[in-house]
Amino acid sequence: MIKRGKGLAISYYGTGYGNGYPDVSNAIVRLNKDGKVSIFVGGTEVGQGAKTVFVQIAAETLNINIEDIILYSEDTINTPDAGTAAASRQTYNTGNAIKLACEKFIEELKAKAKEILNLDSTEGLIVSDSNVYLNSSKNDKVSFLEIASNVKNGFFESQASFTAHTVEMDVETGQGEPYWPYTFSACEVEVEVNTLTGIVNIIHARFAQDVGKAVNPRMIEGQIDGGFYMGQSYCLFEDLNIVDGKIMNNKYSKYLLPTSMDTIDIDKIIIEDPESTAPFGAKGIGEPVTIPVAPAILNAIYDAINVRINELPATPDKIISALKKVKSEDQL
Amino acid sequence: MELKHIGNSIDRIDSLAKVTGKAMYPQDYYVDNMLYGKTLRSIYPFAKINIDTREAQNLPGVIRIFTHNDVPNNAHGVLHKDQLVFCKDIVRRIGDPIAFVVAETEKICEEAIEKIKVQYEIMKPVLDPIEAMKEDSIKIHGDSNIVYHFKLRKGDALRALEESYFVATNTYKTHSIDHAFLQPEAGIGYLDENGNIAVIVATQYPHYDREEIAYCLNLPIENIRIINSNVGGAFGGREDITLQVHLALAAKTLNRVIKCVYSREESFLAHSKRHAMIMNYSTGVDKEGYLTAVKAEIIGDTGAYASWADNVLRKAGVHATGPYIVPNVMVDSYAVYTNNPYAGAMRGFGATQVAVAYEQQMDILARELKMSPVEIRLKNILKVGSITSTGQLLNNSVPLENCLRSVTE
Repeated sequence: MIKRGKGLAISYYGTGYGNGYPDVSNAIVRLNKDGKVSIFVGGTEVGQGAKTVFVQIAAETLNINIEDIILYSEDTINTPDAGTAAASRQTYNTGNAIKLACEKFIEELKAKAKEILNLDSTEGLIVSDSNVYLNSSKNDKVSFLEIASNVKNGFFESQASFTAHTVEMDVETGQGEPYWPYTFSACEVEVEVNTLTGIVNIIHARFAQDVGKAVNPRMIEGQIDGGFYMGQSYCLFEDLNIVDGKIMNNKYSKYLLPTSMDTIDIDKIIIEDPESTAPFGAKGIGEPVTIPVAPAILNAIYDAINVRINELPATPDKIISALKKVKSEDQL
Repeated sequence: MELKHIGNSIDRIDSLAKVTGKAMYPQDYYVDNMLYGKTLRSIYPFAKINIDTREAQNLPGVIRIFTHNDVPNNAHGVLHKDQLVFCKDIVRRIGDPIAFVVAETEKICEEAIEKIKVQYEIMKPVLDPIEAMKEDSIKIHGDSNIVYHFKLRKGDALRALEESYFVATNTYKTHSIDHAFLQPEAGIGYLDENGNIAVIVATQYPHYDREEIAYCLNLPIENIRIINSNVGGAFGGREDITLQVHLALAAKTLNRVIKCVYSREESFLAHSKRHAMIMNYSTGVDKEGYLTAVKAEIIGDTGAYASWADNVLRKAGVHATGPYIVPNVMVDSYAVYTNNPYAGAMRGFGATQVAVAYEQQMDILARELKMSPVEIRLKNILKVGSITSTGQLLNNSVPLENCLRSVTE
């Protein structure tokens, strides 16, 4: 018999290393000879979209085109340490470091422009589209290229560091401020459980993710899709089958993951509520997007068949044996 | 403030190279005349070992076999330096690295691995974290298998549970899983034009890998260079190092280019897993559906090595009460050594496991009170101005109610 059920779960996640451990990102911004801007930062693109977020934050702060930014983030020989690409911290921590470095860089640019334009102050200077203008007279302007040609060595750079707020908790009580910021999620799924085969099909899913401010909405939707499937996979599919310390399912023919046939189109809702300490309000979402999925599915399974699966994964055999157990208890 | 770039769904700046196949991953690098490396790994979860590489060393085409003797500081690990670059006397899990063979071809590497004699004196492995916690258990490192114990205390949870209208008490178990990233570990080691050791690898944190190599080889970090190629997924599985020191050691010793590519099966052995957890929960509620107390005991199996265990079980403990206002809290979370595959960082980092428990608890309470799952959550959720279970004030950006209503209305 096919039974339907709905399940809800909500969750939160504290960004960063936490517990007072120094959570630092560094970034360098450089004006090149050709008037373009290079960003040097050791934050890794693991597929989450860090490179694109870094460039969007830099372009916004510098008020220049995306195409005029060259990002270097691969080699320790020319990039400063920006911490690990983990703990959902790159958008928030490294994003903040890039924004701070860009703000310093703007002040540097203005100081150079003041000299070139023979002004008595940097007041009233505006940086826009790779030019520095005087806001009262658009004729008084100097381009990034002209500034670069006036600078010794042809380039100059600004560096900044951002350290996240985290406090070590009390050892006996755990009281304190371990993480910042917190990010919130909600997920509702509807499932069909086949009581003969134990197979759970997700037929509808809605996911709402607090992002602070969306830097790149389409990439966030991609993260929600990926996070959902990973949570679905954790709940229903993946099983290393460790026997006597040995991983029995050590290849993808045995370690099952959802395929496109097992996945559905998710209603994705981006919730914006800018975080005051974040770059343009943006929080990290890499981990939050997977957290409520498994409990939402488990709650939906219960709603469908009145059986609670207390042990992951909720594979068909486990659901069948749980159903049998309930049935035999009912007959007593 | 009007924003020009923030909020735009621009194409990912790395997408063209990736979809056209131009993006280079570590296994894509090829240099004429390079050597290949392969790792000999333990086949038992807990054993004393004795290694004899002489016969393998004499195989034509074998350049060098590296063992614990070749590593100046034979210890690494993100928090506790409890992992060995190459095991010396004891292996603590299946897959522990014992030796690294460098040869002219991958095939010769495999033949040499077969010819390395490892005598295993098998010991009884500790596989159950609850057994491992006992005083009289066999110890895997040092004098206790409990790596870390996090305590969270607020109010009087025991009394509040006693006085609650209803208490749900349940045990939840989550299993260990793999990150299942697409690209298995691979890398290239060589000496760059300045004579520095360079390693091309896919990692989550190049500056950390540099520190680990520098420590193990006893060199200044300025002599080490990590080139982070494109990364084919990570999810926490590329936080701990795998082949980084092996490649750096071989490149430094031999002054040649060395390449190493793991098979899928070796990849499963090489990197960390998500912590399996046993979570004993008692959640109390009053007649109106307001939470009164949460008491939770969380046991995380970190396997043979700690990796990020302290931080994972701390994050699990901090998040154990869920996104709710809970006046009385008593949480104890433990990270425990066993001889299982080692666990470390994985997407959610402890916060993923506890949600499986606290969100099922909420549904159980709702049903008992004949409330809807939405209603009970709305009564208890964190809002702007709320204080978390660790006493932290949430002063801005807490749109949880908005999230909840968005998926249910």
